[in-house]
Amino acid sequence: MAAVPLARGDDTLQAVDVRVAAVAFVALVASVVRGWPVLVPVALTLVGGAYAAELAVDDAPLDLAVPAIAVGLFLAAELAYWSLDERRRSVGDAGMGLRRAALVAASGVAIVLASSVLLVVIDEVRARGLALDLTGALAAVSVIVIVVALGRTARTDAR
Amino acid sequence: MTRTGNPRLIGYATLAALGMLAALAIRRPELAVVAAPFALILALGSRAPDPGLDVTVDLGTERTLEGDDVPMTVTLRTERAIDRADVVVELPRGVELADGELARSVRLHAGEERELELAIRCTSWGVYDVGELRIHARDTFRLVTWAARIDAAHRLKAYPRPVALRQLLEPMQTQALAGSQVARVKGDGVEYADIREFVPGDRMRSINWRASARRRVLVVNERHPERNADVVLFVDSFTDVRGAGRSLLEEAIRAAASLATRYLERRDRVGLVSFGGVLRWLQPGMGASQRYRLVETMLETGVAPTYTWRDVNIIPARTLPPAALVVALSPLVDPRFVAALEDLRGRRFDVAVVELDPVPLVEPGRTEVERAAYRLWLLDREARRARLESRGIGVATWGDDELDAVLQEVRTFRRYAHPARV
Repeated sequence: MAAVPLARGDDTLQAVDVRVAAVAFVALVASVVRGWPVLVPVALTLVGGAYAAELAVDDAPLDLAVPAIAVGLFLAAELAYWSLDERRRSVGDAGMGLRRAALVAASGVAIVLASSVLLVVIDEVRARGLALDLTGALAAVSVIVIVVALGRTARTDAR
Repeated sequence: MTRTGNPRLIGYATLAALGMLAALAIRRPELAVVAAPFALILALGSRAPDPGLDVTVDLGTERTLEGDDVPMTVTLRTERAIDRADVVVELPRGVELADGELARSVRLHAGEERELELAIRCTSWGVYDVGELRIHARDTFRLVTWAARIDAAHRLKAYPRPVALRQLLEPMQTQALAGSQVARVKGDGVEYADIREFVPGDRMRSINWRASARRRVLVVNERHPERNADVVLFVDSFTDVRGAGRSLLEEAIRAAASLATRYLERRDRVGLVSFGGVLRWLQPGMGASQRYRLVETMLETGVAPTYTWRDVNIIPARTLPPAALVVALSPLVDPRFVAALEDLRGRRFDVAVVELDPVPLVEPGRTEVERAAYRLWLLDREARRARLESRGIGVATWGDDELDAVLQEVRTFRRYAHPARV
């Protein structure tokens, strides 16, 4: 994922990207090895930030590498959290790991397809800039509302 | 069950929020597309309902012998599907896994019931609360975890495993009831004792015709009757010497349980006094029910530290019947217990001591002072032992030998060192 901004940025951006990617890698490895889940979003945010910086600098109309970035971030997050889940040593049912791997892979494929469709839709509505801004603002507000709601109900005793 | 957020929940929410905000800030829809999968998973997976998981734990038995396997079944029933349920069985100290797995991960369909089989084993005697579980259930998105802790619902009693004994200590005096012990007194019995002249009232079947023919006067046989005895097991619970995976108190209880079983088998009355910081006692009794009462009382035995002086006056009088054989099991470390033994002997009780040897469990020390203290301690032990023997108390040290051999040593002492009768 870090290779995308690295390959496309100028020399200054590349130098920064290398450092950011190194820090993200260390954070991800540390989170998995030491069992610190809080470092997983930190690592992925760093990589995503590098990509965002490259997008901000670049003047390309629409980046076609988005599906790869989206699925890459998702797989990295999902596999890291899965690895953290497995830190509890337990004997599972036969085929449980395989089933989970298939589910993650299928999710990855679905994300690639969905991202591609979204890109096409965005390209279509891009001419109407206000609509895009409204859609983005609505999505951002929705996410924030979800986060606040989850934060309030995260430790609710059901019984 | 308690609903808690998985670390995935916070991570995905952070990534989705930052992606959306960054898309707005730099006006690039690509970042919103990157954040969209995380937002979608959050929307779908964050409202996972309670799976309605019901867990029960069953034990194959509530009573067992130490070292024997006890089957344990964990039954899971769920109303809704669970993608992964981690079940961790927590065992108390002294209980270990014999077969199966303590931590299992299972997948359950809606309405499914699953039984997880395992076997546990008590490494030493005692009373254990078992059946404690931790459960974490997650759905497919794994954003929310339903956790529960099931408290120990079963009390497992592990009885001491009997030690092989071929011969027991014979008491000096017997009691009035019939038993297996040949009494010193004369009366109706099987064991031949002596002959004497016939007196009116003697039974014809007692006449020794050969002796009568030789003496030209009627002579009858006298016999020893078979009577039972009162035995009191006197366990030292002032201190427990531990080391190298051994506990002398545990070994004392194991030996006491074996002795109690064997004495009860030959119809003797057996009682128990656990003499220490907490005094526990059981009056002498007979039969299988008394055996269970004894073992249950022994299971409660533990060391309760105390610095107060205690003597045998605090023991209820009926617990120590007259002419009872007192078999003491002690490492002879605490002077209060040694004084109690001397006191009992002074009250004309028939006392024998099985000394559980603490010496192998004690390090001599590194410095010269420590080694000198160690040698002094050994000398003090020798002096204590000699003092007890001088009072007619048989003392045998139980180290690596079989308990049978140790009892034989006490028997030999008692054969040649009868207490003086005044």
